[in-house]
Amino acid sequence: MSKNPLLKLNNVLAGYGKMNVVNNISIRVNQGEIVTLLGSNGVGKTSTLRTIIAQTDLKKGEIKYKDINITHFPTYKIAELGIGYCPEGRAIFGNLTTKENLQAGAYLLKSRQKFKENLDRVYSLFPILKERSNQIAELLSGGEQEMLAIGRSLMNNPNLLLLDEPSLGLAPKLVELIGKTLREINKEGVSILLIEQNAKMALEISNYGYLMRKGSIVLEGTAKELVADDRVKEVYLGII
Amino acid sequence: MNYLLQQIINSLGFGSIVALLAAGYTMTFGLIGLVNFAHGEVFMAGAFTAYFILTILKLPFWLAILMGLVGSIIIGLLVERLAFKPVRGSGMITLFIIGLGVSQILRNSTVMLFDARLKGFTISSFLKGVYMLGEVMIFKKTLFIFLPVLAICIILVYLIKNTKLGIAMRSLSYDTQMAQSLGMNTERVIIITFIISSALAGFAAVSWGYIYGSVHAGMGVYAVVNAFVASVIGGVGNVLGAIIAGYIIAIGGNLFIAFLPPDLVGLRPLFVWIIFFIILIFKPSGLFRANIK
Repeated sequence: MSKNPLLKLNNVLAGYGKMNVVNNISIRVNQGEIVTLLGSNGVGKTSTLRTIIAQTDLKKGEIKYKDINITHFPTYKIAELGIGYCPEGRAIFGNLTTKENLQAGAYLLKSRQKFKENLDRVYSLFPILKERSNQIAELLSGGEQEMLAIGRSLMNNPNLLLLDEPSLGLAPKLVELIGKTLREINKEGVSILLIEQNAKMALEISNYGYLMRKGSIVLEGTAKELVADDRVKEVYLGII
Repeated sequence: MNYLLQQIINSLGFGSIVALLAAGYTMTFGLIGLVNFAHGEVFMAGAFTAYFILTILKLPFWLAILMGLVGSIIIGLLVERLAFKPVRGSGMITLFIIGLGVSQILRNSTVMLFDARLKGFTISSFLKGVYMLGEVMIFKKTLFIFLPVLAICIILVYLIKNTKLGIAMRSLSYDTQMAQSLGMNTERVIIITFIISSALAGFAAVSWGYIYGSVHAGMGVYAVVNAFVASVIGGVGNVLGAIIAGYIIAIGGNLFIAFLPPDLVGLRPLFVWIIFFIILIFKPSGLFRANIK
């Protein structure tokens, strides 16, 4: 790992109120890489992502993005620096239409031209969204909502995308499409930190990965090393 | 028929005031779930500022409008920063009680400083007089508020529907954390919303002055109750709905007493509550779909 780190977490301790969920975690994402966080449910993967965008209580450690210390930045400033976030559970704005959701996603874009380009790109990735563009997002199907959430997180032209379980509850064909999409946007230069239940898909597209257990990192390595590791197999085949 | 039409036209002045207050009310409610009972005093602050400019300092009318807006915006922002911001994120009941407290403090301080009597409001000569439409009279002063409100209504609807700010308002009201992670600065949007809603109250306040010819410390109470009910009827968070409902309440209230025997005129305030309960029983989400929220 001689490349430049884009995002670095150093011994981060964080949680909600008095409860600690993330225990002394160190993670790095290099420019241009896809990095996966593995682990069974409830080990703190989502909280780790939310810690990066300042939505948990961070107690110790530091987070650096492009050599800027963002540890105590508010969420919106972190977004301004180019970190996009796509939460699990289809957190779309149900009161807005599909297109308005994408407009909300493009909040930080200054030029209309860029907005148009990004909108066209999302529509070409997920053509169904174009058909539904004037529909209230609450009325979209689960899969469409997931596509909308991913599409929305791409609208701001993030440098680093934090993706939480993009394939959760989706049909296999869609999972494939999302995997393909992620590889595509990665090729365009977007680094990705990914949480994924579908470990097979995740490790196929990742460069590097971390395995979490009870809020800590217990294993890290390249995707190839992780696929071969028994502990990874155990998490995805044995416990859940 | 003419009598009915005349009653409706007479209600447009008060209706516009209620509509402006309800629109501002519904925006802060939709955005941060704030039942802002101090909004009536933000309104009153604008009226007093305009009163000082016009009656005491004898300055021109346009300056009174401008300073009325400024007065309301300053008080509105102060209330937001000092009273509501420290408790951001707490429940609706907390916000409700704080709003009520701030309202009492502001109103009674005004009574202490300027007493509770009616303050005569100098009315510029161009606002006096009537236009005749057949046998129906239209007061110039009524037109001077009704037409701007139509324009304001169009601007607000456009703002909320089509601009970045409007989309940010609606996103934030639905899911604050998600909206922040897209780069939206909650505090900034809240401040802008308060500025808009206070400015609407300020314009309503100056209009109150030249429509009724006087202002007083308690003027916010009756107006804000009507505005609150209008925002509920209009579907909380729906600006257009609140404006339409403001007119419905004002016109309804006027017709209610217009067709009652004269000795029942005192029942006028009852009307708004009757409507309120009918709506709460049969259509608690309001007549129109909420868009902020």
